[in-house]
Amino acid sequence: MAAELTIGTAGLLQDGVRLPAAAVQALVAGLAQRLEQGARQRVALISDRADAALVALLACQRAGCDLLLWRQATPPDSPVWRELGVSALLDGELGLVELPLPRRAEAAGLVLLATSGTTGTPKVAMHRLDRLLGRVRSPRDAAAAQHDRVLLTYHPCSFAGLQVLLTALVSGAELLAVSRSTVASLAAAALAHRPTLCSGTPTFWRGFMLALGPQAASVPLRHITLGGEAVDQVTLDRLRQCFPAAGIVHIYASTEAGALYAVRDGRAGFPRAWLDDGIDGVSLRIRDGALQVRSPRAMQAYVAGAGASPIDADGWLSTGDLVEAEGDRVLFRGRVDSVINVGGAKVRPEEIEAALLELPQVADVRAFAARNPITGELVGVELVLAEGLRLDDVRPIIVAHARQRLGGYKVPRVLRQVTALDASATGKKQRGG
Amino acid sequence: MSIEQVESLIAELVQRILAERGQQAGPVNSQTRLLGGELDIDSLDLAAVVVELETRLGKDPFAGGFIEFRTVGELAALYVG
Repeated sequence: MAAELTIGTAGLLQDGVRLPAAAVQALVAGLAQRLEQGARQRVALISDRADAALVALLACQRAGCDLLLWRQATPPDSPVWRELGVSALLDGELGLVELPLPRRAEAAGLVLLATSGTTGTPKVAMHRLDRLLGRVRSPRDAAAAQHDRVLLTYHPCSFAGLQVLLTALVSGAELLAVSRSTVASLAAAALAHRPTLCSGTPTFWRGFMLALGPQAASVPLRHITLGGEAVDQVTLDRLRQCFPAAGIVHIYASTEAGALYAVRDGRAGFPRAWLDDGIDGVSLRIRDGALQVRSPRAMQAYVAGAGASPIDADGWLSTGDLVEAEGDRVLFRGRVDSVINVGGAKVRPEEIEAALLELPQVADVRAFAARNPITGELVGVELVLAEGLRLDDVRPIIVAHARQRLGGYKVPRVLRQVTALDASATGKKQRGG
Repeated sequence: MSIEQVESLIAELVQRILAERGQQAGPVNSQTRLLGGELDIDSLDLAAVVVELETRLGKDPFAGGFIEFRTVGELAALYVG
């Protein structure tokens, strides 16, 4: 059924190597053939390569396989694959490893995405590709779009990254991707290959503008999208100055709710009128200070066993984002829960605390959001160290352990030594008893 | 603190971040670009430097919104005067 969708094709420029659309199609045909040998199955792609994600997406649609996009290095013998019903693993070179697990009769070309910021086994949201495509617009001028080049700033196996891949597919634009990307390598790629479209978090855009400096003028962006975290007016205004020729849109989407709405007027937040009138088929309301949404583009469900659906019987989903109506605008004011938002990636403090408590040097720890003007928040920790230890002595041990156990944006960047945790200040340490 | 002192504090913080990753840092001086230049640091590292500066110097030059800076010297200047 899903295989009948015509979703176009796209060429890529991955790490400076061009892969034309015809070459992508050949890889898709080859992989689809390998997948079709035998029953339909659920395949997990573990890679940060956009070319692999694009080919896997198209090949799984063609073969009627479910595709799980997975970001964490996970061995074939991990119990997680059985829990998620995955019967084959695919790597960045399109190598296929069959797992000794029963194949699924019901695979139906679904796309499965892990939600960020959870402990243990991530929750996995199931999507239908036709719904995911619901927010992806066909270009008004298809001929012009053929000359577009999209800079991918997200992990291709994230919800936001997938939206960018789909946009390239629908419009026929070329995808510009860098593996193991940093804001500096993305800036270098942008200067070398001159993208015309780019979507990123506000944190990405702030770093990108810092890295480009005056050279920003030579990047011919005509369309800029921001998402993943709330954007402030200052960042929107600076983008307008740096890229005066570009249309600037900020979007609101989540793994569970799908893509919800886009704001095009260059102002932070969204129009208050949308609370009454809805927008693009989405209803919005404020309950207990938090934004709730009801969307026709929400996920189908979590994969069985991964938790109750966050969507209530009437279709409302609580986003966990605090909002406030101010004048004609609704503005974002942080999170209901204690989640730390590191440049759009959500981190649960409990996960950080549990990992650091594994160290004998750490007697107690509280993770907190360290606010800053670049990434919005960072993971910070207050540490009570074992008797007689000083932070300067154990800092490398703590950081090395966190890098190994948590990795990337979850590694605490701000470390403070305290003699005792102040439970009364926030009550946060009451979490989890 | 003088601008030179803030610059050497920034250099120290950047070098500590790189050392924690097992990387060698070349010389970091007032002209060194923070992102997109020779230094192998990312937005998160730079954010950590800014948080540490605010804590150590007791001043938040970004309180009124983001300010453009590119080099160690330009960042240091925000904390002086």
